[in-house]
Amino acid sequence: MLTLAFDTATAVATSALVDTGSSGHLEVLGERCSRAQTLLEDVDALLRQAGAHPSDLDRLAVGLGPGSFTGVRIGLAAARGLALSLDLPGSGVSTLAALAAGAPRAVPVIDAKRREVFTLLDGEPRVLAPQELPFDEGAVCVGDGAKRYRSLLEEHGAVVPPDDDERHLPRARFHASLAGEPGPVDDLEPLYLRVPDAERNVS
Amino acid sequence: MEGPGRPLILGIETSCDETAAALVTDEGEIRSSVVSSQAELHARFGGVVPEVASRRHLELVTPVIREALAEAEATLEDVDRIAVTRGPGLIGALLVGLAAAKAVAWSRRLPLVPVDHLDGHVASLYLQPDPLEPPFLCLLASGGHTMLLDVRSHTEQQQLGSTLDDAAGEAFDKGARLLGLGYPGGREIDRLARGGDPDAYHFPVARVPGFDFSFSGLKTALLYAVRGLGEEELEARRADLAASYQHAIVRALVERVREAAKQTGRERIAIVGGVAANSELRAALPEATAAPLALCTDNAAMIASAARWADAVPYPRYLALDAYASR
Ligand SMILES: [Zn+2]
Repeated sequence: MLTLAFDTATAVATSALVDTGSSGHLEVLGERCSRAQTLLEDVDALLRQAGAHPSDLDRLAVGLGPGSFTGVRIGLAAARGLALSLDLPGSGVSTLAALAAGAPRAVPVIDAKRREVFTLLDGEPRVLAPQELPFDEGAVCVGDGAKRYRSLLEEHGAVVPPDDDERHLPRARFHASLAGEPGPVDDLEPLYLRVPDAERNVS
Repeated sequence: MEGPGRPLILGIETSCDETAAALVTDEGEIRSSVVSSQAELHARFGGVVPEVASRRHLELVTPVIREALAEAEATLEDVDRIAVTRGPGLIGALLVGLAAAKAVAWSRRLPLVPVDHLDGHVASLYLQPDPLEPPFLCLLASGGHTMLLDVRSHTEQQQLGSTLDDAAGEAFDKGARLLGLGYPGGREIDRLARGGDPDAYHFPVARVPGFDFSFSGLKTALLYAVRGLGEEELEARRADLAASYQHAIVRALVERVREAAKQTGRERIAIVGGVAANSELRAALPEATAAPLALCTDNAAMIASAARWADAVPYPRYLALDAYASR
């Protein structure tokens, strides 16, 4: 089973082509990262490397955010286009969950702009100020939010790996491994976690 | 009836607040044109909210493509290229359509034709059953743009003038808001103006050099006219205000078009864009070819139409393509 996985919610977009054997074992055939606008260049390269054709794909695993609204939409719009054209099912995976899966026991922290971050609280995605992040002394924080608020987090006793540590990226291989039963891709919704400003001002 | 199996162009448009898909033949026959308007969604904000629009585009982009295919009784097998609006427009909205278009094109190794939205409006004139052949003078007036173009051929045009401030459609929307009318404003003012006196108020038309336009002064003049009125008085004068305001916008557009026609010697005049649906403008330029009403507001048939003359980008070169907010 050939799974194409990608996540465009953060500044670095990730993608992976993963083969799932009958035993449930995952084999990563290739991984790439660039940015949301050039996601399909990565996807194209992954398939060419593996000698695969788009019609060989069996399913999609897509990052739903939270993260950049525009970034998340680019990934989901691409997923919807692929699913429509190739008649593929897909699963949505939280970008925070993928980040956490790539760094066991670490706190996933995604930059939410406006001096806030997205994180998981008791397994639920939340948006809060970086100084409100609850963690134990010595806890590892990963993600672009952890990089951005490194000094603040370190002051509070957190450990933030070096900027180029790959644990800061929501790597798409984890989307493939976390993906549940695939369904219609048109039913997948972004995890925005914030209503548009205009909506808030009206109500 | 043309059977399926004919090469079709799939057009996708998401630059502002209409999510649209269409299937058009190389000869300019519209096989389907589906437009899902978000106007109601934005009405309570009194204008298009980019983030709200982008969220909606994502929800609608594949359903409108599916509907366009179903209506044309076609499948993607019948499509030989994908046309998509690359700009100008709301960047977050454009990126939704572009990502979906790239994905469909890539998965089938089809070429992609990036289309300029404004070229799309002009190309709304090239569709069946009554295509207009260049050369002609074209007024493009919408919520986002107001310009005069000397269209020399399907691929060559010169911009003679454009608005220095608000677009004509924007002037309609802002005027409607001052008059306490709904959004989109053009349709509301047009409807109300039919029962009003266009000479009740004299709103000045800005004189700017060349073939440019200016509408911001007009909006201010309406503001002053409305400000002195109480609730009941406004109610009583609303139709007259709408008629006079619309008359001023139309006069400004028509004067410029006629001057440009005289100076360029172009015999044929065309009007396109959302404002080209305005009944007074259509009546004031009886000699002009107006885009069909369904093709005045944003749609994807015009994008597919423009793709008939624009360069197709072959696979895989379009994969890195980005959208642009302004020209
Ligand atoms: Zn337009």
